[in-house]
Amino acid sequence: MSAPLLSVRGLDKKFGGLAAVQQVDMDLHPGVLTALVGPNGAGKTTLFNLITGNIPADSGEVLLDGASIRGRSPHHIARLGVARSFQDLRLFARMTVRENVLAAIEHTAWLWQPGGRSARRAREAAVEQALERTGLTAQANARAMDLAYAERKFLSVARILATGSRIWLLDEPASGLDLHSRARFVSLVRQAAAEGVTICLIEHNLDIVTELADRIAFLDRGAKLAEGDPQDILRDPELIGIYFGERRT
Amino acid sequence: MTAYLLNLATLATIFGILAASLNLLIGYAGIFSVAHAVFFGLGAYAGAQVAMLLVPDVLLACLAGGAVAALLSLGLALPALRVRGEYFVAASLGLQMMAVTVFSEAHALTGGHGGLVGIPLPTLLGFDVSAQGVFLTVCLAVLALILLAIRMLMRGSFGRSLMAIRDSESAAEAFGKDVRQLKTLVVVLGCALAGVGGALFSFYMMFVNVESFTLEQSILIMAMVIIGGTATLAGPLVGVLLLLLLPAALSFLPFIPPTQIGAVQQFIYGLAMALLMIFRPAGIAGQSAGRR
Amino acid sequence: MLFLQLFISGLQTGAIYALTAAGFALIFGATRVFHVAHGATFALAGYAYLACTDAGLPWPAGALAALVLAVAFGLAMDAFIYRPIQRHEGSFFTVFVAAFGMSIVVQSVIELVFGRGFVTVSSALTMARQVAPGIYLADIFWVAAGVAIALFVLVTLFLERTRAGIGLRALSENPELLRAYGLSSRRLSAMAFGLGSALAVPGAILTTMTSGLQPAISHQVMLISLAAAVVGGIGSLRGAALAGLLLGVVENLVIGVLDTQWSAAAGFVVLFAFILFKPSGLFGQAVTR
Repeated sequence: MSAPLLSVRGLDKKFGGLAAVQQVDMDLHPGVLTALVGPNGAGKTTLFNLITGNIPADSGEVLLDGASIRGRSPHHIARLGVARSFQDLRLFARMTVRENVLAAIEHTAWLWQPGGRSARRAREAAVEQALERTGLTAQANARAMDLAYAERKFLSVARILATGSRIWLLDEPASGLDLHSRARFVSLVRQAAAEGVTICLIEHNLDIVTELADRIAFLDRGAKLAEGDPQDILRDPELIGIYFGERRT
Repeated sequence: MTAYLLNLATLATIFGILAASLNLLIGYAGIFSVAHAVFFGLGAYAGAQVAMLLVPDVLLACLAGGAVAALLSLGLALPALRVRGEYFVAASLGLQMMAVTVFSEAHALTGGHGGLVGIPLPTLLGFDVSAQGVFLTVCLAVLALILLAIRMLMRGSFGRSLMAIRDSESAAEAFGKDVRQLKTLVVVLGCALAGVGGALFSFYMMFVNVESFTLEQSILIMAMVIIGGTATLAGPLVGVLLLLLLPAALSFLPFIPPTQIGAVQQFIYGLAMALLMIFRPAGIAGQSAGRR
Repeated sequence: MLFLQLFISGLQTGAIYALTAAGFALIFGATRVFHVAHGATFALAGYAYLACTDAGLPWPAGALAALVLAVAFGLAMDAFIYRPIQRHEGSFFTVFVAAFGMSIVVQSVIELVFGRGFVTVSSALTMARQVAPGIYLADIFWVAAGVAIALFVLVTLFLERTRAGIGLRALSENPELLRAYGLSSRRLSAMAFGLGSALAVPGAILTTMTSGLQPAISHQVMLISLAAAVVGGIGSLRGAALAGLLLGVVENLVIGVLDTQWSAAAGFVVLFAFILFKPSGLFGQAVTR
């Protein structure tokens, strides 16, 4: 297997006295889709927040291409090619669908973007392509708040898609989708992985996990209990017991 | 009558600048400042001082007013970067109250309660622009320039970045937005434009004192933006016209004694603010809430 | 000696601020509504008391009228302004603007009815006597201190010992718990507004007798309550009360150092500093940006 694109080493985070994430190691490889699985409160979203710099880690390292990105601000890490989605989507509600995607790829915090007209055309093309791949072209001028539930979910993916990021961290992107939308979502993510994008996704639905994941990392109470092939993990009776709520003693 | 209308038009233009600049903060960036009159005042004092000490050139005074307001707007940017919501409103209220005291006590710069008297007649690049109609034209030109700039910026990436921060700060960061820099930039820009409005105001009144820069003034400007409609180009202007024409209209009603007009006006715009928030939170010119 | 005198008048002002701010904090803590019309409640209570006294009624009647009007206004704000807004959107700013609008309405009505000037009720309580060389004290100081302490003890007991009080404290944090207790969040929120508004009444009556009223007092009281609530830690009752006391003392002590004009600003310097350097306030939980 090739060198990991993103590595997490011995990551630790306590909230008050509670260990939200403890001593987690994880490697994400290009083109590989890793699913984070575990019961509620296992620390999956916290792990995302630690990687993207939204909350500071107590100790440990986050390496991108072998270089540490721990302690960098979220916008800096995003510009390095790490994109993420949120469980509650956090769309730019009062902006149109097209503006949502366009805003996601305009990084310069100045009155205008660099690169002039050609860069602008490239951005617009990236937006149109992302809208088309997520099936939102017809809704491009609707406001995000006026979209249907499934469309909102696809918009949150379109924002990520347009950025051309190398790493996608998706937080329950398929929850609540109907069967048809789910199939579209699966093929969308598969295609991205095939194009070499490194994907890590949090998902509760084990059907989707089996359908999509190349690897599974199993988290419980902040610690990584196991990592490996989906078949092996999902056949482990102890892990499945934890997942479905039989607590360890 | 013409003089009366010209007066109303000039004031409306200056308040148009104030409302449009506050809309940058409130409407586009979601920074709910209740201290806009402070920067209006800073611009007015700076413009008046330039006119009295150097030359009464409108352009120079506007630049000076904008620059001083921009510089001191860091007093607003600092809390805007640290806190949100209730806390920021409280901070801006605090700033407003402190500023009023400083304005009335810093006699050397502001003339204290008495204010600055005897601001010379305005010129523009050597030409006399003091005639009422001419000065109105100058103000209108400034307003038009500002509106044009705001329109261009807000339709471009800067506007999208601000609105993204307004709608979800964490998502904006996750997509590479430097929230601190963008917020600082919009606060400086919005306050600088208020300063420009202040400089024009000082020429027009030929006299400035702290009475024009109180919390009540900040609230009036805020009410203009909100009643007209936030995050639209026309909204704040609609609000300005409504709230400035209101006292004028009331003065034609025979059954309201002239001394009570102020209170009646306040009653109406207070009630309008409350009712709009209940029935049409996006304002008169704003888009209504979602269809769904 | 001057400082001791200023400190004493600071305590008196502070006791009034503390009660009013505690009411604001109680409402915010329970309902998460930033009730900026709290200053209007204060003004209405003060003017109601004034009107009754001017009409020749005895003081208990005036106090009762003030109490009824204040509580009625608080409940009306909850039922007719905040609830309808929260039903459709309820963003912080929408609520803030509506409340601000209503407080402007109240101020203008007061101005139309009572005029713009200062008005006071004279009372034997405000006659100052020399109690030590250079130290003057009026009986109203003891009234203010006694009322503030007694009410604060009562409210604390209520919040900690009674079912409804515990429900109020849980309202903002854990609505599910309430259902288990069999309490209605709607009734509790009304209770928070009623009780919080009632807490503004003693301060309003005392102010009527001491420094007097003017229509703009609703703004001033709103600013002080807000400042005290933030400095104390938003939602913390004892924090707000302590900060109210602190602001009252600071305002008065500043007079000993600078001019009287700076006294109002001093409180806001404290507020501004807290927001910049310790936004969680004296007793609040940490706030995330």
